[in-house]
Amino acid sequence: MNLIYNIFVYTIWFLATYYVVLILLILLIGRDKLYEKARKSLGRKPWVSIIVPAYNEEAKISYTIESLKKVIYDKIEFIIVNDGSKDSTPETVRHAIGGDPRFIFIDRKQNKGKAASLNEGIARSKGEFVATIDADSVIEPRMISKVLPYFAEREVAAVTVAVRVKNPKTILHKIFELEYIIGLSLMLKVFSFFNGIFVTPGPFSIYRKSIMEKIGGFDEHNITEDMEIAYRIQKARYRIENCMSAKVYTIVPDTFRQICVQRKRWYSGAIYTLAKHRDMILNKKYGFFGYFMFFNYVLIFMGLFLFLYSTYLLAKNLLENLLYFQYTSFNFLNQLKYFELDYLMLGRTTILGIIAISFTILALLVGLYFTRTSASKRKMGVVGYPFLFFFYQWFWILSIISVVRGKKAKWR
Amino acid sequence: MRVKRRIFLAAFLITAFMLLTILLLGNLMNLQRKEYVEDKMSIISDLNEIQTYTLMSDVYGNKLACLAFKKKLQEWDQTLWDLGLKLERYRVATEEFQKDPFYQEQKKKFNDNQVLYMSFLTKVNRDCELNVNIISFFYQNSEECKKCDDQSFVLTDIKRELEDEVSIFSYDMDLGLTNLDLLKEYYEIDQYPCVVINEQRFCGMQDKSFIIRKVCETNNLSVCTKYAIG
Repeated sequence: MNLIYNIFVYTIWFLATYYVVLILLILLIGRDKLYEKARKSLGRKPWVSIIVPAYNEEAKISYTIESLKKVIYDKIEFIIVNDGSKDSTPETVRHAIGGDPRFIFIDRKQNKGKAASLNEGIARSKGEFVATIDADSVIEPRMISKVLPYFAEREVAAVTVAVRVKNPKTILHKIFELEYIIGLSLMLKVFSFFNGIFVTPGPFSIYRKSIMEKIGGFDEHNITEDMEIAYRIQKARYRIENCMSAKVYTIVPDTFRQICVQRKRWYSGAIYTLAKHRDMILNKKYGFFGYFMFFNYVLIFMGLFLFLYSTYLLAKNLLENLLYFQYTSFNFLNQLKYFELDYLMLGRTTILGIIAISFTILALLVGLYFTRTSASKRKMGVVGYPFLFFFYQWFWILSIISVVRGKKAKWR
Repeated sequence: MRVKRRIFLAAFLITAFMLLTILLLGNLMNLQRKEYVEDKMSIISDLNEIQTYTLMSDVYGNKLACLAFKKKLQEWDQTLWDLGLKLERYRVATEEFQKDPFYQEQKKKFNDNQVLYMSFLTKVNRDCELNVNIISFFYQNSEECKKCDDQSFVLTDIKRELEDEVSIFSYDMDLGLTNLDLLKEYYEIDQYPCVVINEQRFCGMQDKSFIIRKVCETNNLSVCTKYAIG
């Protein structure tokens, strides 16, 4: 078993390091392109519709509406779809809209889900391009003029932007702020360099409506419709671009429990989406995307297995050690007193682990540098960032259990 | 920007190079470990001093030789103990993919040397009335002897606490050494783990307080008063 375990550790180390090295290389080579504007211009001002699905958003939606009111773009309409909220969302929306004629409010009494709300919004929209924004997110005023030029290339079906955390206050917020900066901003840009974007984030993404209609809009049976649509765009051989200079600010749940609920939805949705589009995996027909997804999930599930098995070994070891102490009247002090630091006691596997941790920290610091984010102002987040690894494993375990039990998480 | 294939290849080559470097570093550390073990083993395998002391004892009598023994025994005991610990730890750090015959070989040498030192210490103990506490621990691999690791832990703990007040020798009975078989016969060991405390045999798992109590029955130790035993 020891041999198999070690081979497994080496394999996963190689795959994970390869992934990080690849990202770092791409960043190094493409560092001038990260914030580069779209190469072509649309040369015209098309109509844009922004759809805001809302379910029980009375506390946050007014901020979203306020930010939409500040959007600097002439040919724009905002469609707010109330998805049968049980709170005072409709009243809050009406009050926040005031007399602004750019807003359309669809007040649906029945709850049908986020994807259905988005599809209804798309059906009612007149824009050549439709954007979706979560009802707890705010966008910057020049968002539309920043993202539209990417559509000058006919094969571009969607454009994602940099997703940032709005007002991070707690330590959890600060850790997840860094995750968003790296994962939902920088990585999306890097993935766009090899057409590997597999999610058009809910906080804000914009789509070419004609393509959305062609591929059938959002999947109303999927709990992560923003991921599922990205797979179908890739499947139809269109491209998803990323504009890193455009930012949307969204809210991270306050408690770990709430984050778990959110992530359970995201990750179990990811499993359902992968299962639905399994024909794309390692399929040449879909270009690099199929291989990238395979690599991604192999890494995730191998990582999870390694984590679980290592945790088991650690727990077993700890228990055994604890049992040893029963013979010495639980004299722990004796052990601590004779702790010896001898680098020759480190095996290769331990060295692999040390390098992996160093690489995670290096990747984070490089990522912050390329996103022009000050690490010194986010000390707490930087220190807590490595703990994300453990959080992820927990989220995946929850999600896998949820999928196995056939429980579908709701979008809110 | 479109990522070219050669970037994927470059990343692969860099990662492979890193892995190779780690493997080489591991090999280098293996060599250093072996060097350390061989170095220490050559110290304990040097029998000149023992022969000299034995001869001095015969020629000049016990009184003079005992003084010299007392000084030297402590040093030998510590070297042996440290090497025993390092041998085990380095073996674990080394054997990631396969068992290294080097450590098996060194372990045999180490056990042989332990028998030699223990015999010498027992003789000196009698001749010079040194009252050194000697504990011999006979064990098998943990698959066959579930409690052997537990016993080893207890003895390590005792050695750490009592330091030079006690000399502990651990014998791996799986090595099949003739010396160890003789000891087994002499002490009539019929099960593992088994400890011989100042010539008294106790087979089966023994906890710390029992062992200390037994040591305190023969000699006074600092812990005897501390634990109010004996």
